[in-house]
This record gives sequence, C-alpha cells and structure tokens, in this order.
Amino acid sequence: MKVLELKNVNKIYNSTEIMVHAVNDVSLYFEEAEFAAIVGPSGSGKTTLLNLIGGLDMPTSGEIIINSTNLSKLKSSQLIDFRLRNIGFVFQSYNLIPVLTAKENVEFIMTLQKWPLKERDERTIELLKAVGLGNRINSKPAKLSGGQQQRVAVARALASKPKFILADEPTANLDSKAAMTLLEIMEKLNHEEKITFIFSTHDSRVVKMAHRIITLEDGKVISDENRNSHANKN
Amino acid sequence: MIWSIAWKNVWRNKKRSLVVIIAVTLGIIAGVLLIGIMEGWVKQRLKDAVYNEVSHIQIHNNEYIKNEEIGLTVRNLKNITQSIDSLKELSGWVKRTKLIAMANTPWANTGVILYGVDPEKERKITEICNRIVKNGGQYLNAQRPGDILISDKTAETLKLKQFIITGSTIETLKEENVPVAILTKLEGLKDRRFRSPKDFREALKKEFSKKELDRFGLLITDKALDYRIRNKIQIAISDKEGTPIQGIFRVCGIYKTTNTGFDQISVFVNADELAKLYGGDEILTHEIAILLNDIDDAGIVKEKLSSVSGDNSVRTWKELAPDAAMMNDFIIMYYFIFIGIIMLALAFGIINTMLMAILERTRELGMLMAIGMNRRRIFKMIMLETIFLTVVGAVAGIFSGWAITETLRNTGIHFTGWGEGFEAIGFAAKVYPVVTLEFFVFTVIMVITTAIISSIWPARKALKLNPVEALRTE
Repeated sequence: MKVLELKNVNKIYNSTEIMVHAVNDVSLYFEEAEFAAIVGPSGSGKTTLLNLIGGLDMPTSGEIIINSTNLSKLKSSQLIDFRLRNIGFVFQSYNLIPVLTAKENVEFIMTLQKWPLKERDERTIELLKAVGLGNRINSKPAKLSGGQQQRVAVARALASKPKFILADEPTANLDSKAAMTLLEIMEKLNHEEKITFIFSTHDSRVVKMAHRIITLEDGKVISDENRNSHANKN
Repeated sequence: MIWSIAWKNVWRNKKRSLVVIIAVTLGIIAGVLLIGIMEGWVKQRLKDAVYNEVSHIQIHNNEYIKNEEIGLTVRNLKNITQSIDSLKELSGWVKRTKLIAMANTPWANTGVILYGVDPEKERKITEICNRIVKNGGQYLNAQRPGDILISDKTAETLKLKQFIITGSTIETLKEENVPVAILTKLEGLKDRRFRSPKDFREALKKEFSKKELDRFGLLITDKALDYRIRNKIQIAISDKEGTPIQGIFRVCGIYKTTNTGFDQISVFVNADELAKLYGGDEILTHEIAILLNDIDDAGIVKEKLSSVSGDNSVRTWKELAPDAAMMNDFIIMYYFIFIGIIMLALAFGIINTMLMAILERTRELGMLMAIGMNRRRIFKMIMLETIFLTVVGAVAGIFSGWAITETLRNTGIHFTGWGEGFEAIGFAAKVYPVVTLEFFVFTVIMVITTAIISSIWPARKALKLNPVEALRTE
C-alpha cells in the first residue's frame, strides 16, 4: 500500500545571482514499512527532498501525496497539523528540548495531540524502553550521550504513531557503536510497528542496513535499488 | 505542558533572567516607594490643610473676601447657623473673628492675621491644639484672659525664640552621653543669647568641626532652644472707623504645623478678649469653619448652604487650599507618569531579553514548528515566558515595596536637610509613605499589560521563522 507518492517534483531556488535546481523532476513512491535510504554526495538534494516530503518546504512544481492528501493543497496551519499527525522527524543534531526530561520530550508531541494522560504516560515509557532508555526517563538531554539523545529523538518521532519517519543524517554525529545501536533499534521498530523509515545519509552503515537505496545526483534520482520484498519503482 | 515549558525556559539562562527580574523588582520598588512618598505627602498636606487651616467649608461675607475689614461680618448669621446645625453631614463648626493686625515686641514686629476663637470649640474643629511644640507652653484657655497663641515661625520673627546654652543645658547634654570634649567646647557659648537659628548655627560652626556638628548639632540646638513664654506682645488693629487700637497679650503657647506660610501669619486669642479690644457689644463673626464627617460631602453641603447664604460666600476646602486640592486631583496623573516611565524601561528590557532568547533558540523553534507545534502555541509559549519573567519580578517588587513602605509608614522618612524648604510650601519635612491597595492592583495590571505588549514583538519574530531555515541555524 502506497503511503507516500512524489509526482514530477521540482524544487528550484532562485537567488539573485544563480538558479539552483535542488530537486529535479523526482517521481517516487514508498509503501508501508519500508526502510529506505536516500544517498548521494553533498549538494545532491537529499535534505531538500526530505524537507519536501516532510511538508517543511513546498515544491516549485509537482505533487506530494501522503495517504491521498496532496500537501500542496494544504494551508500553512493545516500542513502543521498534518505533520503533527502523520510524520515523525529525526534530526542530525537531535534537537531535543533541553529544559525537558527524556520522558517529557517524548510526551510533548502527544500533549500537542491532546492524548489522555494515562495513555501518554504508558506510551512514553513503552517507547523509551523500546529504545533502551527505560532507566533514563527523567534525565535531561544534557545528561545523555549523543547516541542516547538520538534514541530519545527516535522515540519522540514515534510517539504520535506517524505514517512514516523522516531522518536527516541521523547517525552523522554518532560514534560507530552508538550508530549501530540506533540503527538496530530503528530497524526493530520498523519491523514491529510497521512504520516507514526514510533516511538521508552519507553513512555506509545506514546504507548497508537499508532495504531500499535511492541515489540522488544534482537533484535527480539516478538509481533506486530494492534489496528485499518491498518492491518499488522509479 | 506549554505553561511548564515556558516556565522552564525562563530559567534556561538564569543569569540573564535574574538580571531582568532584579531590574523589574527594583523598578517596582522604586515606583512603589516614590508613589508612596508622594501619596503620603498629598494625604498629609490634605489632612493638615483641612484640620489645621481651612476645615472642609468656610463661610465669609462676600465683601470680606475682597477687603478684610472689621465691619464685614457674616450676614444673616442666625439663619446660616441654623442651617449648619441641621446638616446631617456635620461633624462640627466654629465662628471666628478674623482681623488683620500688627504684632510688636520690643525687638521686632510683623503683620499677622489675628483669629478670635472659642478655644474649647476650636479644639473640636482644628488640630492646632495638638501642635504645641516641646517646651512651647500650652494652648489657649477660655479661663485665662489675655493669652495669645503664636507659631514657632512668628516667635522667631518676633525674637521670642532664642537659643541659649546654660549650665542646665550642659547637664542635660551630659545625661544624653554627649562627649566631654563637646561639652567643653560648649562652655565657650555659655549664657550667650541667640535670637535666630541662623545666628546660633553660625556660632556652633565656629566652635565645632563638621563631623561634630553632623553628630551633635541637632541635639545641641534642640536642648538650647528656649521660647519666651509669657512674654508680652502688643497687638495693633483698626476699629470700624479705621482708628488704630492696641492691646497687650501674653504668649501662652507656641504651635508649629507643617505649613510655614500659614504659621507665620496666624495668631490666636480668645474671641471675647478680642471683642474687648475692638470695643463691640458682641463678638464679631468674620469666618465660619465647618468640619464634615466625610470630605467628599463638601460639594453637596456647599450647595445646600449656598441656597441660604445670601450675601455670604460658601467655599469648600478645594477653593480655600487649591494647592492641596490640585495635588489630590493630580495624584492619579503622577501615578501614570511615574509608572509609565518605569513600564517603558521595563518594556525595553523585556523585549531585548526575549529577542535574545529567541535568537539563541532559533533552531529549537524551527524543530518545534517542524514536528507540528502550531503558530498559536508558539505565540502562547513566548508570551507566557515573557509574562512569567515579568510577573516574578513584579511580585518580588510589589512585596518588597509593600514591606519597605509599611516599615516607613510607621517610622516616617525625615528629610532633615530640606525640612525648611518643604515646610515653606506646606509639606511636612517628615513624610509617612502611604500605598493603597488600589495602587497595587493598578501596578499589577500595568506590569501584566506591559509584559503582554512587550511579548508581542518577540513572539511575532518567532512566528516569522521558516522551519527549514531555522533548522539550519548553528
């Protein structure tokens, strides 16, 4: 079942001196529970593509359809609410709220969705246990290592039960051990919760574990390699 | 949770937040204290004006106001006094003889307003009887003929106030633990008579160092002060034909109010004694002073009495003491000016702090927008942060200001150095700050309003952030 579809998506940045075609006529679709990596050299358009998929940026032309909703047709306020309910984000720099504990950071997104307190509490603890931080629920980000913070970020992204999670270079700031732990957790959650994970990455470890690898160059998809049954076509 | 995050965000940069909070606290304390002192002065001036000088209402012959002649007494006195007695708002009233006079002693003379009063009734209307200075004799007594009550200022003008260091003065100072070295120096001034404070001060300056004067000057002056009670004063007035007539009175007491201007011209004698001097068959009434139970009734009572007053003029305290009335009416404007200035400074501080906070948290705000925190919630969070930051300072400021004002309300603040200047314009040198509940409520509303208004700019700045660009910020 398609959860996400991109149809002839273009993103052109017009600065005063030069025009940059950051995403060039990309058409893709993703199915439920995919574990996909978007790879390519710096400046190839990976982050821009993720921003477009996540509704953080709007395409210059083309359509992005998530569960039958065309993002271009949504108003700004509807788009924010759509992101809240359908998309989870994991950022390279973790971006946790420093004044909140690990539990509060995960809980925060459910508060925005007005989950009942009891369900919120149960899900938060369940997620933090799932990412191996059941014993650090009351620690603030400053007291956690980079790997632990990124695991909290993954738990936060999963908290609202999104359709898919977008992760922009999630392992870039982590050492090998922390990166592997994180990837194993993400793969496990992908398998158990049936959530689609889409990464942009340079990291060969991520590429190695991905079930599908989409390669970008100069904003164009130059290859889309499927490694398992989650078949896909360019 | 947004409330909790906003509160925690306030303490994210403790040092910066504390600077703002302390600035708000100090600003509010300064405002409360300043307004408290002003309110204290205004209330004190109003009280002194009403209870020492003009009462709530006065009635005079219309012509007497223009030309204070002995024959221009209150008309239709019987009708008017009956109307006064029937007032339900009435606390008390008195009739007074009021004449322009010249007061003479062998050493000086001065023009005065001579009041002929019934001392017992006057006690119920004015507080002059409670303003007799230390060692200043006593108030008028109807049983003691020929007495005159003058002020400290008039005593000074007529050279009836003197400073003299006697053996007993030195003994008293010794009992007050004044060092022997100081007492020894005082021996040089022993038994010399100084008829003005200025001369005495000059003499002390020659004998003592500035440090010694700062420490013991006031005490020495206080102990050396001596009024010439029972001294004779010759009073000269004009009778109805304009013929000058003189009488001799003896000083029974010295009073001092907070208004030097009033003090230096107002002297009091028994009305029947004065009547003997001008030779009338009855006591002349030039002035009726009325005290009401509630100052706010003055306007209504004026209207009632005006309808029966005929050729007389009925005036309220506002017309009789316009300075006190103006201060009382304009105090609200002063509130707005002072608090407005404080709030303006506060607003700049808050805006600066919050803009800094937003600049530092650009990426975090971008992340919040990305994960689905809508603009309304972001706006609310920034506003709450600003309000918390301000309210903490405001609460601390209001409580501290209240505590300081309450303490000073009991002890008073004595503006020693400027006492004469203040009293010359009718204000007490010792002020008891007063801050009303209404003022605190007003201040709290102003602070919260300022916080809300100040938060709009930083909050709007946060809303204008583009999540993609904000997330790229280092």
